[in-house]
Amino acid sequence: MDSYGRVAISQVWEYGRPTILVVEDEILVRMVIADRLREANYKVIESSNGDQAIAVLRSDTKVHAVISDVRMPGSLDGIGLAKVVKSELPEVKIVLVSGHLRPLDHLVELDGFFAKPYDVDRVIRHVQALLQEEA
Amino acid sequence: MNIQAENLEVVLVVEDDVLIRMAIAQYLRDCGYRVIEAVSADEALTVLQHSETKLDIVFSDIEMPGSMDGFGLSKWIRDHRPGLDVILAGTVPRAVNAASELCDKSPLPKPYESKAVHDHIRRLLAARKTVRRDSG
Repeated sequence: MDSYGRVAISQVWEYGRPTILVVEDEILVRMVIADRLREANYKVIESSNGDQAIAVLRSDTKVHAVISDVRMPGSLDGIGLAKVVKSELPEVKIVLVSGHLRPLDHLVELDGFFAKPYDVDRVIRHVQALLQEEA
Repeated sequence: MNIQAENLEVVLVVEDDVLIRMAIAQYLRDCGYRVIEAVSADEALTVLQHSETKLDIVFSDIEMPGSMDGFGLSKWIRDHRPGLDVILAGTVPRAVNAASELCDKSPLPKPYESKAVHDHIRRLLAARKTVRRDSG
């Protein structure tokens, strides 16, 4: 446990640090989750909307998991992004967070859903478990 | 945040193109800086107005969408956060050079040559162009 009373979630990875794409239009919210993921030893790419996220996913950058808000500006919201990920990059895990919607399993295939306000460490532990399943 | 992270110099990188921003941000992190990423001057202002967020340097693109470009952001910083260094980099080569100069001042040795960063950005932008051509 660190001086803030948080359980240490940092992890050593055998084959290099996994990359997590965080998609969230509110920069202060994005900063919190991105910082915590970096402290947990992940590489983090930050996007402020679905269109930017797609640009990253379609580049040659290897992304292992996406944590995305549902409601975002631009042509693609979190649900649209999840559909693209599942159809084009099925090996990439996608976890959605939202303050407005309940679980969306009937709309789109997901690897996780968290309602806002969510506990950042719970989301990170969930992603860790998803990536470990894969390893 | 741990004590070690609190001692790092903090750079706010403001760049609307995620493929450029992620390469520059990662390079600066590998050089030993803590990096906050903003997609526009408006987002950068949200961070700058958040007075408890420690910042040392703002590294900004010039042309950006939104209500303010890099020059406007720079002027706002001069007026409201006068102690803060601002680096304006309008093109990819200038951004890479400026990042490389920051790396020279960092406590850690340069993790890799800035040319590798430039090549990486060019590859990313080319990959995005190829996908657009294929799909459109």
